[in-house]
Amino acid sequence: MQRSLLSLPLNFSLRNKLFNAGFRVIADLQRLTDSELIHEAGVSQQDVLELLQAVRGEGGDAWSSSTSLELLQKEGESRSIVSFCSQLDEALSGGVPVGKITEVCGTPGVGKTQLCLQVAVDVQIPPCFGGLGGHVIFVDTEGGFLLQRIEDIAAAVVRHCSLLVEDDEQREGILTFTVETILSNIYVVRCNDYIEVLAQLHLLPDFLLEHPRTCLLVIDSVACPFRHIEVVSQRTQLLQSLGLQLTNLAIRYNLAVLVTNHMTTRLQGSQSQLVPALGELWGHAPTIRLLLQWLNSQRVAIVVKSPDHMEAIVQYQITSDGLRDVDESV
Amino acid sequence: MRLDQLAVDQRIIAAVTRVDSVGHAPEPFPILSLADFLSEVVAPTSLPTARFSSVPELFGVPALDLQRLSGLSRTDVQLLLSAAAATCRPHPAVSAVNYGGLASNLRLSVGCPVLDQLLRGGLPVGGVTELSGESAAGKTQLALQLCLSVQLPVQYRGLGSGAVYVCTEGSFPVTRLYQLISEQPRLRTDVPESVVTSLRFSDQIYVEHAADLDSLQACLSRRVPLLLARGLVRLVVLDSVAALFRSQFQADDWLERNRQILRLGAKLQQLTSDFNSVVLVINQVTDVFDSSNRTGPVMPQVVPALGLSWSNQVLIRLMMRRLQRSVHRGHQRSAVRQLVVEFAPHLSRGGQEAAVWREGVRGLVTVSHGQDET
Repeated sequence: MQRSLLSLPLNFSLRNKLFNAGFRVIADLQRLTDSELIHEAGVSQQDVLELLQAVRGEGGDAWSSSTSLELLQKEGESRSIVSFCSQLDEALSGGVPVGKITEVCGTPGVGKTQLCLQVAVDVQIPPCFGGLGGHVIFVDTEGGFLLQRIEDIAAAVVRHCSLLVEDDEQREGILTFTVETILSNIYVVRCNDYIEVLAQLHLLPDFLLEHPRTCLLVIDSVACPFRHIEVVSQRTQLLQSLGLQLTNLAIRYNLAVLVTNHMTTRLQGSQSQLVPALGELWGHAPTIRLLLQWLNSQRVAIVVKSPDHMEAIVQYQITSDGLRDVDESV
Repeated sequence: MRLDQLAVDQRIIAAVTRVDSVGHAPEPFPILSLADFLSEVVAPTSLPTARFSSVPELFGVPALDLQRLSGLSRTDVQLLLSAAAATCRPHPAVSAVNYGGLASNLRLSVGCPVLDQLLRGGLPVGGVTELSGESAAGKTQLALQLCLSVQLPVQYRGLGSGAVYVCTEGSFPVTRLYQLISEQPRLRTDVPESVVTSLRFSDQIYVEHAADLDSLQACLSRRVPLLLARGLVRLVVLDSVAALFRSQFQADDWLERNRQILRLGAKLQQLTSDFNSVVLVINQVTDVFDSSNRTGPVMPQVVPALGLSWSNQVLIRLMMRRLQRSVHRGHQRSAVRQLVVEFAPHLSRGGQEAAVWREGVRGLVTVSHGQDET
C-alpha cells in the first residue's frame, strides 16, 4: 500500500494531476470515493477507471488477498487433463494441469507434437467419463497438426470410451462424443512468425468470450518462431513478456497452457550438453517442465521441474492410437 | 501495413511514431524532466525509442515497454495493440473439422503406390521434408521423380503444377531427367496414358543454381517465391543443403553457422507455408561421433548433417539407404535401397525397400522369399 504512484503505468497528465493534488502512494487513494477523487485531483471519470485498473493490474487484487488455506482448497478442486499414459499422469498427479503452464521439451521426433495432439483430444472427454469436456485452441507454428494423425488419436479415444459405457449418462454421452465433434472443438491457427503468435494471443480473450468452453491452449512449438529473432535482447524481452502473458491467460481464464520447446546444445568447455532452447529466463515461465528423450531404445518422459512433484522418469510409447504406457506384457 | 492505416485515434498513432510526442498536451512533470523520469523509473533498455514505422513492429516490444516509451495510457495501448493484432493475424482460428478442405490435407505422391503407402499418401504441404542418405543412395532419383509426379493433376495425387530444382553442387542431371520423362507411362501405370503423354514435363521444371549461401538466400527470396506466387511451381527441391555449410564455415564459427541454418530453415518454412507448397531438402550424412545424445531407438552409424539446429526445423525426416543386396528384373539390375521414415507427426517409424530402375524408383513388394518383384 505504500507503493509510490510513480511506479504505476499511467499517462503523464494523470500522474501530474494526482501528484499536484498531494497523492504520493496508493494508500492515499484508498480512503476516497470516486467523486471525492474527481473533485480533489481534478481528474475525469475515465481517469479514475484507469487508475483503478492500473492499481489492480499491477498488484493483483490489491485490496483483497486469500489465505493459504483458501488457496489449498482451490488447488484441490483444480483439474488435470489425462494423457492416456497412466504412468505419466501419475507422475503429474492427474495429468496436464489447468491453470498452469506445462512445457514439453525434446529432440525432433521424440513425441512432443504427439503429446499435444493426445492432450487436445483427451481434454474433450465428457465429464461422465471423468474428463473435462473442454475445447481447444491449437497454435501450430511448425505444420505438425496433420489431420490424418488427429483422426487416428480421436478414433482411438472414442473407441476406448465406448468400451467403458456402463450407465445411461455415459450411453448418452458417447452419442455426442465422436471423431467429428472432437475435431470440431479443436480450433487451429497456423502462425508463421512470432508477430502472428503474439497477435493471436492478444486477440485470445475475444476468442475465449465466443468459446467459453475452451480450457486448453496449445502452442506447438513456441521455440520455432522465437528462435528466428536474431537480436538476443529483443528475443529475451519478448519471451519474458510472453511468459507473463501466458501465465495471465492460464490463471485468468482457467486454461491449461501446453507449450513445446526444442533442445539446443550448450557447450561447457569441451563438453556439450542438450538443454531446452530459449534460454534461462524463459525457463522460469512454465510451472511444469517435461523432458522427452530416448533412453536405450525406449522413450522416456522426465518431470524435470514441478513445484508439486518429485523428479520422475516415466516410460511411454507412441502407437498408431497415440500416446500410451509401455506394455508390460510385451 | 502502415501505422496510420490502423483504425485507432490519430492521437494514439502520433504517440508511437514520434519520439518527442507524449500523446496529449505535454505538461511538465513537477520534479523530473521527461528524460530524467524515463531513466529513473524505466530500466535502461537497448531497445530503440518509440519510433515505429510499421504495424508488426508494435509487437516487437513488450506491451508494458510500449506504454512507457509512448506515454500512452494503458487503455490506449490496448486499443492500439488490438487494432494491430487484427491486421497482423493471418486468419482466425479454424475448427479442425474444416481442415480437410485445406491444403494441409494434400499429399504429393512419390510416384510409386508402395512408397506412397509408407508415407500415407505422399509428402505433405506446409512443412519441410528432408531426405538424407549417403552418396548414390538414390536421393536425387527420388527428387527427380517427384518433379514429374507433381505435374500430374490432383486426382492422380499430383499438384497440377511444376517444380523448381535448386542445385548447389554439380550440375543438374538432365540426361536422367529425360530418360525418366520418356519412361513415365511405364512407371505411372495408375494414370491413363493419355494424361501422362499430354504433359510437357520438361517445360515445367525450373532449374536454379546456387553455389553459396548468399546466392541461395537470394534465389529463395526472389526467384523461387515468384515462381510459387505465379502458380508455376508447387514443389521446391533443394539439392543439397549440407554442401553449402561445410565449405563456408570454420570450426569455431559455429555461432554464425547456426544463425545461417536458422535463417535458411525459416525461409524454407515460409515458402512451404505461405504458398502451400511441398519443400524437399536433400541432405548428406555424417558419421556419428557423439554417442551420448540419441535421437532414435537404435544408435545409428550415420546421421543427417548439420546437427540439431537443422533437425529442429524439419517436419518430416526420411532417409535412404543403399543395401548390399541387389535385384534383377529382365536385363536390369539394381542395388536394393531402403526408404526409412525417421520421424513424422503422422507416420510411424518404418522402412520400405525399393529399387532404382530405368523408369524410376519403385518400392519392392517381397514375394515370399528369394528374388523380389516390383
